[in-house]
Amino acid sequence: MRQLLWLIPALPLAGFVILALAGRAMPRRAVAAVAVLALGLACALAVGVGVEFVAQGSATQWTSPADGQSPVPAYAWRQSLWQWVGVDGFKSDVVLRLDSLSLVFVLVITFVGAMIVLYSTGFMWGDDGYSRFFAYMNLFVAMMLTLVLAGDLLLLYLGWEGVGLCSFLLIGFWYKDPANARAARKAFIVTRLGDTAFAIGLFLLFTRLGTLDVQEVLSRAAAQWPAGSTLATAAALLLLGGAIGKSAQLPLQTWLPDAMAGPTPVSALIHAATMVTAGVYLIARMHVLYRLAPQVQLLVGIIGGATLVYAGLSALTQTDLKRALAYSTISQIGYMFLALGVGAWSAGIFHFVTHAFFKSLLFLAAGVIIQRLHEEHDIFRMGGLLRRMPLVFWTFLAGAASLAALPLVTAGYYSKDLILSEAWSSNKLLWSAGVLGAFITALYSFRLVGVIFFGQEKTAPRGRTPAVMALPLVVLAVLAVAAGFINVPPLLGGWPGLTRLLEWTLPSAGIHHDVAAEIGSSLAVALTTLAGVAVAWLVYVRKPAWSEAIVRPGLRRLVWRWWNAGWGFDWLYDRLFVRPFVGLARLNRDDFIDSFFDSVAWTSRQTHRALSLTQNGQLRWYAMVMALGAILALGVAIFI
Amino acid sequence: MSWNWTMADAQALLPLMVVSAAAVVVLLVLACCRRAGVAGILPAGETPATRIGAVLTVIALAAALALLPVAGAAAPRSVTFLVIVDGYGLFFAGLLLSACIAVALLGHSYFRQETSAGGEFYVLLLLAAAGAMTLVFSRHFASFFLGLEILSVSLYALAAYNRASLAGLEAGVKYLVLAASSASFLLLGMAFVYAKTGTMDLGRLAQLLNAAPQPALVTVGLLLIMVGVGFKLALVPFHLWTADVYQGAPAAVTAFIATVSKGAMFALLMRYLVGVNFTLQYPLLAVLTAVAVGSMFVGNLLALRQENVKRLLAYSSIAQLGYLLVTLLAAGPGGRELAIRAAGGFLAAYFIATLGAFGVVSLLSSPQREAESFDDYRGLAWRHPVLAGVLAAMLLSLAGIPLTVGFIGKFYVLAAGVNANLAALVAAMVINSGIGLYYYLRLAIALFTPSRAEPPPRVAIHPAGAAVLAVLTVLLVAVGVYPQPLLRLLAAVVAL
Repeated sequence: MRQLLWLIPALPLAGFVILALAGRAMPRRAVAAVAVLALGLACALAVGVGVEFVAQGSATQWTSPADGQSPVPAYAWRQSLWQWVGVDGFKSDVVLRLDSLSLVFVLVITFVGAMIVLYSTGFMWGDDGYSRFFAYMNLFVAMMLTLVLAGDLLLLYLGWEGVGLCSFLLIGFWYKDPANARAARKAFIVTRLGDTAFAIGLFLLFTRLGTLDVQEVLSRAAAQWPAGSTLATAAALLLLGGAIGKSAQLPLQTWLPDAMAGPTPVSALIHAATMVTAGVYLIARMHVLYRLAPQVQLLVGIIGGATLVYAGLSALTQTDLKRALAYSTISQIGYMFLALGVGAWSAGIFHFVTHAFFKSLLFLAAGVIIQRLHEEHDIFRMGGLLRRMPLVFWTFLAGAASLAALPLVTAGYYSKDLILSEAWSSNKLLWSAGVLGAFITALYSFRLVGVIFFGQEKTAPRGRTPAVMALPLVVLAVLAVAAGFINVPPLLGGWPGLTRLLEWTLPSAGIHHDVAAEIGSSLAVALTTLAGVAVAWLVYVRKPAWSEAIVRPGLRRLVWRWWNAGWGFDWLYDRLFVRPFVGLARLNRDDFIDSFFDSVAWTSRQTHRALSLTQNGQLRWYAMVMALGAILALGVAIFI
Repeated sequence: MSWNWTMADAQALLPLMVVSAAAVVVLLVLACCRRAGVAGILPAGETPATRIGAVLTVIALAAALALLPVAGAAAPRSVTFLVIVDGYGLFFAGLLLSACIAVALLGHSYFRQETSAGGEFYVLLLLAAAGAMTLVFSRHFASFFLGLEILSVSLYALAAYNRASLAGLEAGVKYLVLAASSASFLLLGMAFVYAKTGTMDLGRLAQLLNAAPQPALVTVGLLLIMVGVGFKLALVPFHLWTADVYQGAPAAVTAFIATVSKGAMFALLMRYLVGVNFTLQYPLLAVLTAVAVGSMFVGNLLALRQENVKRLLAYSSIAQLGYLLVTLLAAGPGGRELAIRAAGGFLAAYFIATLGAFGVVSLLSSPQREAESFDDYRGLAWRHPVLAGVLAAMLLSLAGIPLTVGFIGKFYVLAAGVNANLAALVAAMVINSGIGLYYYLRLAIALFTPSRAEPPPRVAIHPAGAAVLAVLTVLLVAVGVYPQPLLRLLAAVVAL
């Protein structure tokens, strides 16, 4: 199994190659089979590899980094495939690295990816670009797997950029509508800002540490840089720039709500399994750097805290179902950042796992709703779907409950509770932001449930949900509820398996458990969540008139609109960056350098015109020019 | 002057003899077939006769090509004081013969439905081939002039081969008058040179040029010879005929004029001028440099916005010959080998791409209708995707884009120029490569843009022409990617 590690990213890549080359000639069923098989096999392989990895890791004697002293993960598999670059002093291998952190990511990516692709085979059935879609999807997953399995930062960067490329291709999948192409460009350009910072960070790491191998970078950084040193801070900051771009955190979050332009399964893939979690992965992967730069780590937490409240309030005011879910993703990634920022490393990754399940579930369910309601995105034109679409209701409810972190019965609760209880003992301010966020999350989750499924039916759904689309919904719904049990805190009489596993790689939170505080935190989270659910229920189901009252003209409506527009970030960036830039470009349109080239072209054209006059077709003129040429040549010869 | 004819002489001349004899044989066979057709032995009409002529011609040319190594076994050898058979000549003879085979097949495709075309095309082609081979093997003014005239006279008839076409007749007449007047310059020059030096041997003349600066009369004579040569090579300012003749002649004949006729002339010029110490012959150097730079600029600028594909290719060939002159000027006493290799590589690349480009034109044309305007090519990628791809590849090669043989050729020429410190010429070449890219790509892009006008009718592609294009395209890419065999061959040629 260990030798087959390379196959995990190679299988989706092979799927991409097959579909890209032959997809147009293949019947739809064959396309679907290739796409699903590639990811399904990768997932099965990942499970096999994972089992063996865990078995061997548990049986091996090694020093756990959990003591907080040894910063470099001790148990990992490496698979060197070939040397990519090897010139004087610079070496980069195509090397895969599996440790418990990448294992968790690989399992989630392949499994959720396979579910989404299976769902898409039904969802995209009527689309013209059927094979193109699955080619991109497979490439997307292959790139994400390359990213998380890379043992070398250059290879990681390849995956990182590949993910960016695929997101561009998929967001702009229906490229014939210019708005979609614009959204794709926006996603590409905004994340590019972060990627540039990331690239500079890589240059810094390489020039200072002389290597890009993940393990080497981490151990050399720990050995060479004292805690709080400028270099460590700079490197951590630059990598953080890349992470917030990809993970859509403040202030580079503006691309994600627009990324809804792609087909809904793409949103599910981007939000759950690939792309946005790459930033979380990067910070966790480079955690040694952040421990060396405590200020930056705190900044990670602050960004997370601010983002989760910001995006939560925006999500609350959205009327477009997909945009609401998009803001909720920004907010939930904010929780992960908050966790990383307060040193709750494994809690952050745990939240990634549960989020992957419930967010992909919510998007897939949203896709069904939107498709069956004739492409209706506005939640206020849905309503009353409870009876018409019971399966979608129950699965959506499972996802929303998990998103809202309904205590004890949902997976989202366990991960969010873990984050907040660890934040409590580290930073009270961030903890309060998280609790406030929990309230908002519960509120908007159940606002969606209430508005979509209860009340009066406004648009009649058509058709039925095919089995290939229903199956992933059910599976993911089960996981959205039950996946929390892989990591139940001892306090609740469970066994924190995932945390144990992740602590093979990531530092333990290192907190002396204060049982009383933990219970207090948990209670607070549970109560605010329930309060949020109750308020949502009251306002959006029992008394719909109240919800209209909120948006009556006046200050409240202004605030509502402001939040709805994502707090005006788009407006601000448009004024601050886009317009001055476009203005500059416009000024520069007829610039001096260009006019030089234009004049070259102009001169050439004029000479062409003049010379063409010599080609007048008259024999006597031709003969005369020949004679003149001879005379000229003789003149040169004689007088020179 | 007595001469003992030996078997080795016959062996060395075998390819030339095969081609010359084939001209006579094909002529007789055609006459017999025609009689047989009249007598009812063969099906009536010209088609069978034409086909027999084509087959015989290709066989004869291929046989001559196959006999080159046999002749090579006797090389280097002077046969009488007129002809020298050596590795250099054999290489170019091979190039010319291959091009002739391509032209014969393209001509066959071109005349496919034409019953009145007759088989004389092949007779003239074989004669022209014999003339061209005589040029590359000649070592004396007499054989030089003889070869040139055999070639030229055949070409007058070939250029005007479409008797029904006014443009064709115009092309033939223009070519006739201008070629005749240029030949008079050539003869006068030869007379001057002979009057002063007393020799008509080209090798001896080259030695004289290398030894010391020559009196004005010799220089004048040489320059007058250059007028004749420059006309044949379509160099500025003797280039004005090119576009009209290229346009009027049938596309296959145009391909012949652009490749075989020019290649033979250049091979002769190169053989005796390469390695000449130009510092002693300053006027010659000045004129040749001016002609080279002028040809590059004028050719490329004339092609810039040209809307007629045959004229565009004509102008492009003017510029290409300008590039080729750089190798000649780059040679100098020490750089003979590199220069010949560069010129051989460049000419091979030019032959492949030019034959390919005119081949596509020829396949799309028929005696009734030459496909020559841009509108015929706009959107070709949808009507004939393979032809469009081939033409695009040929254009990229002419532009010198890497991975095509054109890049190898151009690279060698530039290398020779840089090696000889010809800064001005190299600069002109680089600038002109940029200008050239514009119109080559303009045509290439037109192939892939939807046509605005009513698209011309789809024509059936003759298998013979298709085979030629397939071979040329494979060569274009194969040599462009893996040029070692060509380079080895060239190195062997120089050594022989």
